[in-house]
Amino acid sequence: MNTEERQLAEMLHRVTPEPPRQVTVEDVAYRLASEPRLGREPRPRRGFSWPGFLRGGHGWTPVLAALSVFVVAGASAGIATVATSQHSHAPAPGDGTPPSTASAPTTASPSSSAPSAPAGTSLRIANGMWGAGLINRQSFGQGSLTGGGDSLYAAGDGSLARIDPATGAILQTTPYSPPVFSRPVVVGNTVWVVWSYSGGDIVLRGYDARTLAQVASVPVPAIGGVAGQARGVLAAGPDGQLYVAAGDTVAAVDPAAGHVTHRTYLTADRASSVAVSPDGSKLYVGTAPSGSFQLLVYDLATGVQASSSRMPASGAGNLVATAGGVWGTTGTGMSEWAWFAPGGDLSSSFRVSQGTGAGLDSVPVYSGGAVWIGGSHELVCASPVTGRAMAHTPIPTDRGVLEYFGSVTVLSSGHAYALYRDQAAPLAGVASLTPPAACSGS
Amino acid sequence: MASVEVLPVDGRPSEPDGFREFVEARSNALLRSGWLLTGDWPSAEDLVQTALAATWPRWATLSRQDAPELYVRKIMVNTFLRWRRRRWNGEIATGRLPELQAYGDAFAQIDARQALIAALDRLPPRQRAVVVLRYFADQTETQTAAAMGCSVGAVKAHASKALARLRDAPGLAELMTGGVAS
Repeated sequence: MNTEERQLAEMLHRVTPEPPRQVTVEDVAYRLASEPRLGREPRPRRGFSWPGFLRGGHGWTPVLAALSVFVVAGASAGIATVATSQHSHAPAPGDGTPPSTASAPTTASPSSSAPSAPAGTSLRIANGMWGAGLINRQSFGQGSLTGGGDSLYAAGDGSLARIDPATGAILQTTPYSPPVFSRPVVVGNTVWVVWSYSGGDIVLRGYDARTLAQVASVPVPAIGGVAGQARGVLAAGPDGQLYVAAGDTVAAVDPAAGHVTHRTYLTADRASSVAVSPDGSKLYVGTAPSGSFQLLVYDLATGVQASSSRMPASGAGNLVATAGGVWGTTGTGMSEWAWFAPGGDLSSSFRVSQGTGAGLDSVPVYSGGAVWIGGSHELVCASPVTGRAMAHTPIPTDRGVLEYFGSVTVLSSGHAYALYRDQAAPLAGVASLTPPAACSGS
Repeated sequence: MASVEVLPVDGRPSEPDGFREFVEARSNALLRSGWLLTGDWPSAEDLVQTALAATWPRWATLSRQDAPELYVRKIMVNTFLRWRRRRWNGEIATGRLPELQAYGDAFAQIDARQALIAALDRLPPRQRAVVVLRYFADQTETQTAAAMGCSVGAVKAHASKALARLRDAPGLAELMTGGVAS
């Protein structure tokens, strides 16, 4: 190896992270039982042979056959039941599911209307956990689903879309590519998004909630530059005031006036996430000093910092405020998980999701009186007061491949929806849910 | 239509001798290779499980030849290449690639990983596989060629082209010469 190759090798070993969990023999046995084809001999590549490696499996077929007998019989003691493969084939047209062509046109500018798809029945997914049914097959960005009035909104594939929750049809779209992870916020008749988030420049844009025509564009200079790992940077107070993590400050924006009305200056570090308590009394700001995550609590009436606390973490953010405290996530990507800090005190925070494989689906959402935390292992609704789970359901896998639920949104009608993704099928889109009554809030 | 399958616990065939020890010893390294190939942990797990499941029935032969890991890596690479040809590659949104932070920053590790995966995503699948096998899994050119089913010359060509592409990847040069702790 030359110097460059050695540097590359050293860097790969140094940067590649440790896995969140190890593969076990039991995992492998399960795969063999559920997918016997894995035990068959692979077809050799053209012009290549590997003597010995491609032989030796001949005696295995009877064993796998015997294994399948156990799989089918499955009545004797010592047999564990595993629910899998709830949709082992892609549904054929005409099975009652909305056609994929109902997806949004993405080239329209500034906004466009898509023809409404006829109301169709939803496709049962994930073994029907919590009545899950797919009403739409458009792939949206994780964590981007939100609701307002009688509509759902989600961002993905270069556009912001308004979705009919009754049919799953895309009603309008407008071009939009999120520059940072932050859910759209609906205030009155306007859907607000972070349009630009770079260096010292932040721009918020507002879109008419029905037509998605642009109705506002608000520049919000970020003093000191935006935080490098900002996530969840836009929040709305109960009075409709918008709050934006803007560098060394949190900027309050009057959406009606379309400009910054005041700023809260942080004593140290840049704001990476922001949330406002439901009663509008407290502003919660996340910052990321080296090796830790800091939560600052401000009294919105006086602008005075009320408290601060910190926890060792990386990649923390995505703050959500409820009556009982603050929620957020730590870790990134597939190792992301959610926590709850009663009263906004991180020293008493506790973990409320399993993480591992959740990604941005584990970002908490406060909707319909409950806090929802998705992911790939379980879907949880938790009390906004105590932070404790009120109900939860395991999320099955599809033939051993993870399925994801996240961004749960409850509309005023009481119906719940979530973004769903199954990479094995493959299948993705908006799902309707019927959570248990325990999730109706407290 | 939902179906319920049962996983035999007592009834499955006995594990081949040494298979459990191999999985326990090599799972970590194989998963990290899988992460470099696929860019995410669920896919990496899927890849490793698939390769180990294919290895189980041939374990006796492979262990006699003292080459089970070579075979596992061969299956991993072939499966990865097949996925890239056929399989839907749904992207998991991770937001925009952030600017690299100063070393020592709390987020530097995360930024480094994202920069690394973004750089590897620029490579065609076979060049990416060569990079992982040669420079992470420490396989020789001959072993890499065997795993990929190609000639040693092809491995050299893939490696050369991959290095050229990686030189232009944003942030990677700093990673290769810098010191972000893992």
